[in-house]
Amino acid sequence: MIQETTFPYKPSEHECEKASNSYVMSLVAVVAGLPLPIVNLIATFFFFIANRKSTYFVRWHCTQALVSQMALLAMNSVGFWWTISIVFGNENVDNSYFGYIITILVFNLLEFISTMYSAIQTRKGIHVQLWFFGNLTNLICRK
Amino acid sequence: MVNKTITQGIIILVLFFGIWFGLSRLDFMRYFHVSEARNNTEKKLGDLIWGQISETETIIRNDSVIKAVDKLIVPICEKNGIQRDSLKIHIIKNEEVNAFALPDNHLVIYTGLINKCDKQEAFQGVIGHEIAHLENNHVMKKLSKEIGLSVLLAATTGREAGTILSEIFHLLSSSAYDRSLEEEADMQSVHYLIKANIDPVPLADFMYQLSMEHKLPDNFYWISTHPESEARAKKILDHIKGKKIKKQQILKDAEWLDFKKMTGTL
Repeated sequence: MIQETTFPYKPSEHECEKASNSYVMSLVAVVAGLPLPIVNLIATFFFFIANRKSTYFVRWHCTQALVSQMALLAMNSVGFWWTISIVFGNENVDNSYFGYIITILVFNLLEFISTMYSAIQTRKGIHVQLWFFGNLTNLICRK
Repeated sequence: MVNKTITQGIIILVLFFGIWFGLSRLDFMRYFHVSEARNNTEKKLGDLIWGQISETETIIRNDSVIKAVDKLIVPICEKNGIQRDSLKIHIIKNEEVNAFALPDNHLVIYTGLINKCDKQEAFQGVIGHEIAHLENNHVMKKLSKEIGLSVLLAATTGREAGTILSEIFHLLSSSAYDRSLEEEADMQSVHYLIKANIDPVPLADFMYQLSMEHKLPDNFYWISTHPESEARAKKILDHIKGKKIKKQQILKDAEWLDFKKMTGTL
């Protein structure tokens, strides 16, 4: 699920701090933005924009934090609007709804733990690659 | 690298939908007692609101009136698989042209509505419309939407219950449902009438009749709270156009007039 690899170069203390902050940013925003699924993505996106001209190590981790948030955004948005349509609209609660909410809770929890772990390890200068999102970041992020 | 990423993406998707599908097979509705909690809240609310109404309004307990109303409603229930006993029908002496549904299948009919209907089929159509709101759970949907579930629960636990119950009563008796819910109730009422061999045209005529009056007095609640009634009447007529409908009158004309007279003089 989480792979620790060697980065092409040894990042400086300052880079480690910035890269780690990209994950911390999304964690803080998750707490602040619940139940709105968009807030953490916006926070991570602005952090990504602010650091898009930074060093490769920082950019790489900002990108990984962003893409992992995007996947959650889609899942959480469906859950959010489904809930809204039940509370304010004509939809009814059923087993599929409960199943969906529990599924996204599991995925959110996994993402939360992996983001927290990534923040800690990156701060130590260890290059952490999340499953799927790490590979996706390798494809997107250019040296 | 690209293939590996795509494979991993597909695995995540399969995992996501697999977990969702698997969890959906579990009966959460039973584990969380959703239906039970919903029914309890609805029952408590219905009883509380009806308790308040019965204290302030004049309830008609005249046997002849109750029997006549029953006679008009029973065929609709029987032909449409609705348990007559599940409906708690109350007739209130009030000049307002109004009928409305309350939580827990309470259906309130004002004598003003009976007096305003020229034909019994129009009265049956209006009652069918309110039964449709009850059968489709529109009442609780509307309350949850406009008042909120937490406030509804507070009303049943007694905290500031009086104010909330008055608000609920006002909301249900003098404001319309969403347009889509109103149209759904109209169409369902028409289906009820057709199945019970009752002509739905008088219902449309009744809507036209009330909407055409230049200045609606304040007590024309049922129509003034049901906007665009002219368009809805037209929709009903369009819906039944070309359909062969058996027309059966439950009460004879003289009986209907006697019934109206009786409710007017009570």
